[in-house]
Amino acid sequence: MNEPTMKRVSLREIFTVFFRIGATGFGGGMAVVSLVERTCVQEKQWLELDEFMHGLAFGQIIGPFSLNSCTFVGYYLRGVAGGIAASVGFIAPSFFLISVLSWLYFQYHELPQLQSALRGTNPVIIGLILVAAAGMARSKVKGGDAWLMAGAAFAAAAFFDVGAPLILVAASLWSLGRAWYLREHA
Amino acid sequence: MATYLKLAWIFLKIGLIFFGGGYVLIPLLHRIMVDQFHWLSLKEFLDGVALSQLTPGPLAMLATFTGFKAGGFGGALISTVFIFLPCTLFMLVVSSRYEQFRSMELIRKTLDGILPAVVGLVAAAAWSLGRTSLFSARDFLLLAGGFLLLQFTRVSPMIVILGAGAIGLLFRFS
Repeated sequence: MNEPTMKRVSLREIFTVFFRIGATGFGGGMAVVSLVERTCVQEKQWLELDEFMHGLAFGQIIGPFSLNSCTFVGYYLRGVAGGIAASVGFIAPSFFLISVLSWLYFQYHELPQLQSALRGTNPVIIGLILVAAAGMARSKVKGGDAWLMAGAAFAAAAFFDVGAPLILVAASLWSLGRAWYLREHA
Repeated sequence: MATYLKLAWIFLKIGLIFFGGGYVLIPLLHRIMVDQFHWLSLKEFLDGVALSQLTPGPLAMLATFTGFKAGGFGGALISTVFIFLPCTLFMLVVSSRYEQFRSMELIRKTLDGILPAVVGLVAAAAWSLGRTSLFSARDFLLLAGGFLLLQFTRVSPMIVILGAGAIGLLFRFS
């Protein structure tokens, strides 16, 4: 995989794709990640699933992972310029939306009533995230050990409110120790 | 101009202590924006958090809202650019080293070894969102419909999401 990618994706296309994701990924966070995975890995086949998931793991440790995974894919395709095209494209729709809503808010001091729209989108977004999780599980979680790690990470995050960075650092240490041990005792 | 420089400097600092992201950010931003600089009242701060969560962007879009209050559209732009500058630069550096990392066998095995944990975290996001937004049979019906459409057809997820939002508005979901 160290060869340069065969097809050179234009910066304009990178910007457009992430602008569209930034304009529709309501729900934020993993909803955005699921859209990026579906668009860039499944449909456009710009990168492999495991590469995307590595980027997501780095992104979660570094902070706002929805933005970070966009930056990662952009960089993967076209270096620094690609990374910037992707991150600016992704943030731009939210930026304009908040600018307009802020202007209205500081004029009238009222929030837009969008609750009923969100009640419609939230369940569908859960569906979107579940489809992404199921796809990742099918191809990347194999064997008892892997399922144990997936279950432990799920439980730690869902039931015990452990932060994602801590979970990923713990998983990395475990995984590094295991790889080390197997190498020494091969 | 002084306002812009101040916004740039403060949001750059917030961006630098961004690591961990998400909800650890709220108390921190509250202290800076409400107590320290009086850019926002408490009510405005809470409404700003709600507004940022309406958008696909991260919670840190709150910077746009605060910047708008403190310095209009220019303030919003500067605050947004500077809060995201550190994490974006850091992510670019990590991405640029990625291929090199991955050519080392031990690191490649470690990275591949944590993929199940990543899957667990993605599933946990669905769980958390479900806990706060799945209440009625209608919600579960929408969830099933969305899942089936996205799993078995090639319909664009954007259409599914916007369509579900339109249905919610049209039928005045409460």
